[in-house]
Amino acid sequence: MKPRVILEEEPVAPAQRLDFGWDIAVAAAVPPDRRWSSLGLAGVGLSVLLLGFSLIGAGNFVAAQFAQAVWLGWVTLTVAVAGFGLVFAGIGREVRGYLALGTVDTVRAAHARGDVVALRGALQDWQARLPEGRTRAQGIAEMPIDAACALVEATSLAPISRDAEALGRAAAMQAFAMTAVSPSPALDVLVFSWRGVRLVRQVAALHGLRPGVVGTLSLLRRVAMDAATVAATDVAVDAVLRGVLSSRFAEHVAGETAAGAVAARRMILLARAADEACRVLPRR
Amino acid sequence: MDPFALIRGVLDTTEGAARALVGRERLRLAVTGLSRAGKTVFLTSLIANLLAAGRGARTLPALDAAVGGRIRRVTIIPAGTETIPRFDPEAHLGALAANPPHWPERTEDFSTLSIAIDVERRTSLGGLLPERRVTLDLLDYPGEWLLDLPMLRQDYAAWSAATLIRLRQGVRATAAREFLAFIDSLPADAAAEDALAKRGYALYRDALRDCRDNHGLRFLQPGRFLNPGPRGEAPLLWFFPLPATAQGGLAALCARRYGAYLDDQRSNFLDPCFTRFHRQVVLVDVLGALHAGQEAFEDTAEALAAVASVVSGGNWLERMLGAAPTRVAFAATKADHVPSRARDSLAALVEHIATGARGRAEASGAATSFHALAAIRCTEDAVATLEGQNFAAIRGILLNEGRGATIYPGEVPMKPPEPAFWQSGFFRMPEFQPPRLDPAGTAGVPHLGMDGLLAWLLGDAL
Repeated sequence: MKPRVILEEEPVAPAQRLDFGWDIAVAAAVPPDRRWSSLGLAGVGLSVLLLGFSLIGAGNFVAAQFAQAVWLGWVTLTVAVAGFGLVFAGIGREVRGYLALGTVDTVRAAHARGDVVALRGALQDWQARLPEGRTRAQGIAEMPIDAACALVEATSLAPISRDAEALGRAAAMQAFAMTAVSPSPALDVLVFSWRGVRLVRQVAALHGLRPGVVGTLSLLRRVAMDAATVAATDVAVDAVLRGVLSSRFAEHVAGETAAGAVAARRMILLARAADEACRVLPRR
Repeated sequence: MDPFALIRGVLDTTEGAARALVGRERLRLAVTGLSRAGKTVFLTSLIANLLAAGRGARTLPALDAAVGGRIRRVTIIPAGTETIPRFDPEAHLGALAANPPHWPERTEDFSTLSIAIDVERRTSLGGLLPERRVTLDLLDYPGEWLLDLPMLRQDYAAWSAATLIRLRQGVRATAAREFLAFIDSLPADAAAEDALAKRGYALYRDALRDCRDNHGLRFLQPGRFLNPGPRGEAPLLWFFPLPATAQGGLAALCARRYGAYLDDQRSNFLDPCFTRFHRQVVLVDVLGALHAGQEAFEDTAEALAAVASVVSGGNWLERMLGAAPTRVAFAATKADHVPSRARDSLAALVEHIATGARGRAEASGAATSFHALAAIRCTEDAVATLEGQNFAAIRGILLNEGRGATIYPGEVPMKPPEPAFWQSGFFRMPEFQPPRLDPAGTAGVPHLGMDGLLAWLLGDAL
């Protein structure tokens, strides 16, 4: 049988192009919904109980005071409103700080899936939240998205990374000095931890994030993940430094400063890891 | 052996070893194929699908399985200070997705692009170590120029003799009737007149064009006669094959220009772009050759073997320095032009048509494999009812007419067909519209078999 072409009947309108539903068929696997852990549920329940019963208790108490004397009721009410207002303001700030971390994920996700519209909007929102005095990329709404990302990198992210490194160096100097003079290893750990947490929060602030306690905990978890990558890139340098500075000869010459140098090195790595964790776009 | 080439080879090998040590390998992929084999579309699809895979889309499942899902991201490496034009996948994809769509025009010049593939390391501590970055260097070029490579091993007299023998046989003799009459009428001691050289060149070029466009032939030399590239038809091209009896000034002039032409192609094409490949894919439009008749089919096989003898077959030194390709894949393109049940036959047929080329590649120590693929899938399976019988067919939207059509592409034999097969005559497969595509290429492009090819070709290197 010879090859042949069998034309379909002349359509009224041009035939539609074939559609294999490719974009749906190859769509990236959706990560499973994150469910609340039992511990999280118990924690939230405990918080609701504490706060709820406190509110009910305070309401009863205010009502009882009003029953005794009106002026006493007003004073009690003022104290209760002020106290609970401050508590809620604190909670609000925590929630805002925690949610701000989510914008990093939003921008990264839009970048990863190549969603130009979402990425452009998310970048603009992120730029609006940057601290005063930080240079921002202008006109990213009009330019191609590749150029916009490159401009954001050059205008904002690269200077932030440089500032983060400077913070890391400053923290390193302090860690070096403190561990060298501290009288006990236990105090070393405390000092190092405190300075590390402060450094992570400082770097987050550079990126326009102001995490509270919950936000800081979440950030530390991210940093711990990114630190593995960042630390690995410096693994050779770190190993050499440890090898040289922790050797018998170096111990003899430098004494405790060897350990201090390693601690200082960790601070620099921590600053880089924190910068990686807070970046809205992957490093180019 | 050119001492500079040797030094360059040693330096390249040293650089390659150093890169491998720090997890920054560079992999040069030669995409070779005769003209209209689909190199540009192949590269566009390869880049779009790899970029999409880097974003997590499951566009290349076989490659993903081969590397254990370790591909983390794929990016295009920013341009440096290269003098060679840059391959523009966005523009090609945009044209294919446009309404009305356009297939890429005939490639007129070189273009290159490098893409970076970041992969997690294979070791159990892979998640903790920094990712490896494999840089894939890609090159697009006019397919016609590929046939210049075998000429580098011939002098003018040998090339003329071989070319004239071919030109006096079969459909070539008809296409080159005027040219053959012209050289037969030339006196043996014809003077070095430019008017004669130009006339001979024009007749020879027209004969080559006729062979390519109307008879589906591919073994046509020199390549720049058919596709002069961005520099146009320079006087360098004003030569043509002459019989051994011609000994005058014209023959000397043609021989001089032949040598200058090869020097120019060597310095501009072969040396900068066509040496030191690590992997090679040879694209063959087997179906087009099959539909063009016995002579075109055999001609394609001969052309492939001739090209492979230069590209795939590194010498002992190149093999020692790791400069010869270690994996060579032969792929029958446009596999969507046959129904799915005939695609295995297409892959088997490419194995037969590339027998000569395969021998050369394997002799130089490379592993070979055979595939059937469609870089962009444009058809779906259908059933054609012919003379009361149902046959497996394909259905697509014709590019120019905008109408749907069911095509019965004929039988696809698993080995070179018997003489009776060729009696069905010449068949020209119509061009199809590409399917609906996202111009940004977010989800890659629909393909057939690209993932299997890439898994075999690159899987071990990632």
